[in-house]
Amino acid sequence: MLGMRHQINRGERVGIVSISKLSVLLNAVAEQIELYTPKKIGNHYTFAKYDSSIETPLHFNNVRAYTPIKDFLFPLSELVAVFSKSVEPNEVKPFAIFGLKDCDLRSIEILDKVFLEEEFQDPFYQRRREKLFIISSDCFDPAESCCCTLFGGRPFAQSGFDLNVSKTSDGFIVEVGSNKGRDFVEKHSQLFTDAPEALLIERDKTRAKTQKQIEQNNSKYELDAPVNKVLENSTDSEVFDIESQKCVECQACTRICPTCHCFYLYDTRQKDYFAKMKMWDSCMRMAYAAVAGGANPRKVLGDRIKHRLMHKFSYFFDRYGIDMCVGCGRCIDADSHGMDIRVVLKKLNEELRTKPKAEVAK
Amino acid sequence: MNKNLYQPISSEIIKIIDESPTIRSYVIVPEEPFKFETGQFVELTWPGVGEAPFTPSSSPADTEKMEISIMKVGHVTELLHECEKGQKIGIRGPYGNGYPLDDFIGKHVYIVGGGVGLAPIRSLFLTLIDRIEDFKSIVCRFGARTPDDFIYKEAVFGHWQEIEGVDMKLTVDKADDNWKGNVGVVTTICNEQDVDVSNTVAVICGPPIMMKFATLKMLEFGFKPAQIYLSMEKNMSCGFGKCGHCMIGKYYVCKDGPVFTYEQIKDYPNIWD
Ligand SMILES: Cc1cc2nc3c(=O)[nH]c(=O)nc-3n(C[C@H](O)[C@H](O)[C@H](O)COP(=O)(O)OP(=O)(O)OC[C@H]3O[C@@H](n4cnc5c(N)ncnc54)[C@H](O)[C@@H]3O)c2cc1C
Ligand code: SF4
Ligand code: SF4
Ligand code: FES
Repeated sequence: MLGMRHQINRGERVGIVSISKLSVLLNAVAEQIELYTPKKIGNHYTFAKYDSSIETPLHFNNVRAYTPIKDFLFPLSELVAVFSKSVEPNEVKPFAIFGLKDCDLRSIEILDKVFLEEEFQDPFYQRRREKLFIISSDCFDPAESCCCTLFGGRPFAQSGFDLNVSKTSDGFIVEVGSNKGRDFVEKHSQLFTDAPEALLIERDKTRAKTQKQIEQNNSKYELDAPVNKVLENSTDSEVFDIESQKCVECQACTRICPTCHCFYLYDTRQKDYFAKMKMWDSCMRMAYAAVAGGANPRKVLGDRIKHRLMHKFSYFFDRYGIDMCVGCGRCIDADSHGMDIRVVLKKLNEELRTKPKAEVAK
Repeated sequence: MNKNLYQPISSEIIKIIDESPTIRSYVIVPEEPFKFETGQFVELTWPGVGEAPFTPSSSPADTEKMEISIMKVGHVTELLHECEKGQKIGIRGPYGNGYPLDDFIGKHVYIVGGGVGLAPIRSLFLTLIDRIEDFKSIVCRFGARTPDDFIYKEAVFGHWQEIEGVDMKLTVDKADDNWKGNVGVVTTICNEQDVDVSNTVAVICGPPIMMKFATLKMLEFGFKPAQIYLSMEKNMSCGFGKCGHCMIGKYYVCKDGPVFTYEQIKDYPNIWD
């Protein structure tokens, strides 16, 4: 019998069980559906297809992978229309990813808002999203760039997972986060045992410790006001132009960001049909907003940096009620020239401190 | 299964009209029923070549066919000018909000337009005159670079002028020998005496620079920013609020616009660029 503990977001009843070995859990998943697990490359992780028949080392990744998860749902480039016949999205086989972190789950929540919006649902995204089985895991030993706690995140899954795995001194705790997850655990009940109270206490302690570590790492970046307010009061700041001097317009920050979702559509001629492709784009690109005749509302690089941040923390928040940044720190790692989103926000914050109160709208 | 947002509807070009040296109109017949409201736009695809946003210039009341006027300005539009009668192109949409006609009821509608901006205006004009008794009057102030650059010549030089309830004035930047009308930019034919500001809405569509000065003129006349309706033109790709290209501040021009009141967007930087 699974211990039913508490309710979490999305209204599903959850259960908590434990399992002695990670491979037992993952093999059971891989028997049913395609599974992707973290693979270490240098100091970073990416995801690779898991094959239980060969002895692949199983990594319990400490933090999120280097590559963004959006790739699984919103690929770099895909065919979205064929002329003149219509194209149906390809059948997607169910697949699972192990090792997603809270910041990854929140980035998926953001993409869901955009691509599953009622009025204009993207059928290509939807197909993949429906088939994704999420096995998240707790973080430990956070990276320098991890700053989820500044943006409402935690180093452990809060919601949006099917199963979540926490490592303990004696096996793994598996938490159920959805009906799909519960079905899985019930179907494989022989693999699991009840989670001992002592391990749950240990798990909560580890979580609190990791959270504290991230909070301490980022204490110097704390802001005086909610981030959207800091930005909205800084639209005339020179900080964006000054920071832009470090930017070489490589666009890496937007490509690697798990929440950035700009794209453009382009038409191509294939041998015997015409195709419309959808491909990632970047608001940091000079010609991104240019129109015929050369007009361009964001010709200046600093204005594009400002727009990127305003979109993430003000415009998106206004429309969807959540920030479009999860504090995963990928953009910080990716920027070899040292632009750090935390530093930019902090500079704006410092500038506001020196502004007369009357100029700072609430 | 949801309908595929990205799939264009095949449409046949049944007629091509040369409007001016740089603008051509295409009459197209979509293969599937296609309804739109005046001011909404479509994404037009030349298969294999490219896609760009355009506002139909015909009345939404004509549900059989649609007219689109295209100015040659760049890569895709230049190629679109090579399309021929009988050819199949694709359209997606309609997208955006269109003109809020109900807000115009009982008022004078003061329309300032220029260049290819007359395309959306033609659709609006045809819609308004279908129910002209709902409005106090329709005032048109249209401009073009030269007389030859006016589009819909037959209508603007001819029968639109004669419709009761319509007050139309035209101007050109540069006259030719036959031109007897006003010479000067479009704001030179906008006179304060012609408008009863408290009971009028202004509708402006044209090149960015014209829209800017026409807006300033309307403000000078005493219009409130909320009485001025602008059709904004921004770089677009998807047309439905996802790809990000068209953003002005928090607005997706493709979804929340393209028609905005000046009130909505006036505080954002570089809106005319
Ligand atoms: C809502 C809306 C309605 C429009 N209605 C009309 C109309 O009725 N008639 C008409 O002639 N023109 C209209 N335009 C402008 C028309 O879409 C552009 O002239 C066209 O996209 C230019 O494409 P191009 O490839 O020829 O130019 P290029 O300069 O070669 O374009 C390069 C890129 O910029 C984009 N781009 C360039 N200019 C614009 C622009 N002005 N707007 C959007 N994207 C641009 C293109 O999509 C392309 O990706 C409208 C634009 C918008 C946004
Ligand atoms: S902006 Fe940077 S920190 Fe925020 S979600 Fe994107 S990559 Fe992560
Ligand atoms: S940003 Fe937070 S949730 Fe994401 S990997 Fe780092 S510690 Fe984990
Ligand atoms: S055109 Fe894609 S968001 Fe507006």
